[in-house]
Amino acid sequence: MSRPGFVLEVDERTPPILFHHGESFRLERLPHGSRVIYAPDPLPGIADVDAAIEDALANPMGMEPLPALLKPGMRLTIAFDDISLPLPQMRTPDIRGRVIEHVLRHAARAGVDDVRLYVANSLHRRMTGAEIKRAVGERVFRSFWPDALRNHDAEDRDNLAHLGKTEHGEDVEINKHAAESDLIVYVNINLVSMDGGHKSVAVGLGSYRSVRPHHNVETMMQSTSYMDPRHSALHHSCERMGRIVEKAVKVFHIETTLNNRAFGGSSEFLQKREWEWSLKDQAAFFAAKRANDRAPVKTRRAMFHKIAAPYSVTGIAAGDVDQVHAATLERVHRQQLVEVDGQADVLIAGLPYIGPYNVNSIMNPILAVCEGLGYFFNMYRGKPLVRQGGAMIMFHPVRNEFHSLHHPSYIDFFEQVLSVTTDPETIQAKFEQQFAEDEWYRHLYRTSYAYHGVHPFYMWYWASHAMSHLGDVIYVGGDRSTVARLGFRSASTLADALDMASETTGRSPRITAMRTPPLWLADVR
Amino acid sequence: MGSLVKDLRVLQRGFRWGRRPLAPRNVALPDLAPRDFPTAWARTPAARAARAAIQSGVMKPLIGSQTRPSVYGAHLLKTLTPPVIFYANHSSHLDAPTLLLSLPPWWRERTAVGAAADYFFDVWWRAAATALVINAFPVERAGSRRSTRAAKQMIEGGWNVLVFPEGTRSKDGWLGEFRMGAARLCIENRVPAVPIALRGTYQSMPRGRGWPAPGRKPVRVRFGEPVSPAEGELAPDFATRMRGALELLLEEDRTTWYEAMKRDARGERASAGGPQAARWRRIWEAGEPVADPLARRAWPR
Repeated sequence: MSRPGFVLEVDERTPPILFHHGESFRLERLPHGSRVIYAPDPLPGIADVDAAIEDALANPMGMEPLPALLKPGMRLTIAFDDISLPLPQMRTPDIRGRVIEHVLRHAARAGVDDVRLYVANSLHRRMTGAEIKRAVGERVFRSFWPDALRNHDAEDRDNLAHLGKTEHGEDVEINKHAAESDLIVYVNINLVSMDGGHKSVAVGLGSYRSVRPHHNVETMMQSTSYMDPRHSALHHSCERMGRIVEKAVKVFHIETTLNNRAFGGSSEFLQKREWEWSLKDQAAFFAAKRANDRAPVKTRRAMFHKIAAPYSVTGIAAGDVDQVHAATLERVHRQQLVEVDGQADVLIAGLPYIGPYNVNSIMNPILAVCEGLGYFFNMYRGKPLVRQGGAMIMFHPVRNEFHSLHHPSYIDFFEQVLSVTTDPETIQAKFEQQFAEDEWYRHLYRTSYAYHGVHPFYMWYWASHAMSHLGDVIYVGGDRSTVARLGFRSASTLADALDMASETTGRSPRITAMRTPPLWLADVR
Repeated sequence: MGSLVKDLRVLQRGFRWGRRPLAPRNVALPDLAPRDFPTAWARTPAARAARAAIQSGVMKPLIGSQTRPSVYGAHLLKTLTPPVIFYANHSSHLDAPTLLLSLPPWWRERTAVGAAADYFFDVWWRAAATALVINAFPVERAGSRRSTRAAKQMIEGGWNVLVFPEGTRSKDGWLGEFRMGAARLCIENRVPAVPIALRGTYQSMPRGRGWPAPGRKPVRVRFGEPVSPAEGELAPDFATRMRGALELLLEEDRTTWYEAMKRDARGERASAGGPQAARWRRIWEAGEPVADPLARRAWPR
């Protein structure tokens, strides 16, 4: 049986704690009495994944078996999660490809000719051919690319269908080909509890018009947290939209869960609890850190993004969206939930080299904000890990560096918007529309590999709950002028950061540190 | 180069290189139980010869260069027949070597030292060095059944055993409570316990110091009369008697033999556990320089 997650209390015996620091790591000694949250150990994977996939397709939850839904002459759309999942990318074969192969085998047996596959990339950048091939596997790629295997285009007016409005007046507009299909099969990877459910189709295949109603400051402020779908206005909105989608088209939803074995081989030390590090782990850390510190940033980044995780599949469920997602969440929680008593005054986190929006790319300053104040801050259920008015200290270099191919609108957001204001509401009111409807960004999104013009705004909104909740945000090791532009403070060392934070939290704060990887979800009591 | 050294230092300090790995206190780690470390080799003729050479050629001059030891009451040993258990108060890493060197050579060659398994026998090099230099064998402090097994074997083999019944070095220099292991050992093996009072090692090298304080501070070792368990006496009772005998011996060293006896008879014996006062005051008082009560002053007050 895997060990559950737990909360360590730092004492004089505690070795230094490992933190990510962008494309590097650091070992930090924490003050005695600090708490460190560790994830549960990886759950055992399914021994026969193919049999489990077949079983899920043959015995779906609340729906007929997949073979019974497939008929000759029908139009079938298979959509799947894009490159933002999982993190890091998994070792091949990717579970999406394996599931899709099984679905296609049934479709071929049933004589379905009209099959189209879509990357549900929403307003994210298009995936390259190589990236898609890696996700779906060579057989699928060769059979369908490029005509019937495509990226979803949220700005292709001719291929968007408006399905109606929810009772809250939210527009539901998704990929027209999918909407007019006889069946949508959606294949997801549910890495964290935010993923999956109705969000998959409604957002993944949606347009700006249908993403805007829930990707805004108001919704984010009412999503406490968006990792807890029961208390997330974002998810409530997606559920309302999902009902509209389901009225228009049948959705056969397939969700998969992975364990949290994100690092293996020579980087396995990242996963292990520090006092269990063998001499080999210490040597691996030392070698990796030395090599990292000496390598140019580009080389370092390339090395990190090549890492493929040795995840194991812990479950596959198929059928009705709600029933499937409930089972999925239960598995995600089993892998990730850690009980934590009470809130801290100071929350410490090391931000990794990767987030959902910079796979094979650069984690620019805006993404570093989203990663820390968006994702890490929101890894809770119940109450935030840090009290209202507390401080959050993060490790990240926050370089003024952008990927001009992937993140062109981010550059302008940083230069033109953040130089005027950092207030999410003002930004939303004054600048969002201009960026969202900019023809150049639209063109780059549709024909190049750029995130949609509005995407940096969403990153900022993603952090809005944390910004209003926290009294102080400090980046340790962050570039001073860049961090200042973001509206935060930077410190050279953790000791300096704690000293700075004492202005808001007092001289003897309760400190909680987030030890990742692997990821976990705090159940704060 | 600087960062390389810095990184290595972080690892060396953080992960206790060369020392037993420790887990944080709120982590249960059953796999870090003390390992059995064989010490029988340290009592072979070759090891005994090497030890005698090290003790007289290195240890004695070294300790003599850092402290000023004086030994009293060694004549009492003449009335004893081995094996016996030597026991003493414990407040410094200097205690065991000082005591061993205070024993007459004949006794020293036949005495083994019980050392904390979790501290001295955690890594091979320290275990080997401790076993060779002071003829140590591992004693588990956890109070398990295994804790006195090795000591029992030593006594059965005819070795005298030196133990510190407090189980650890005193944090404030005063005598702590006794654990039951030493008393049980005496009862089970029907051997007498010889108290040894040690004064001055705390002043010279208390907890936290890695080397004796400069100035060759005086260290006093005083042997007492043996105490033997009575027929049917239980370990807690005998442990109390053992502690009482040591308290009296410490008092004797602070004053005189006769003075100590008179005070004891009047019930006025000062507690070797120290004054009931704030921690700093206990440490302060324990740190007072050790003086010979009979030493003559060049300039009397």
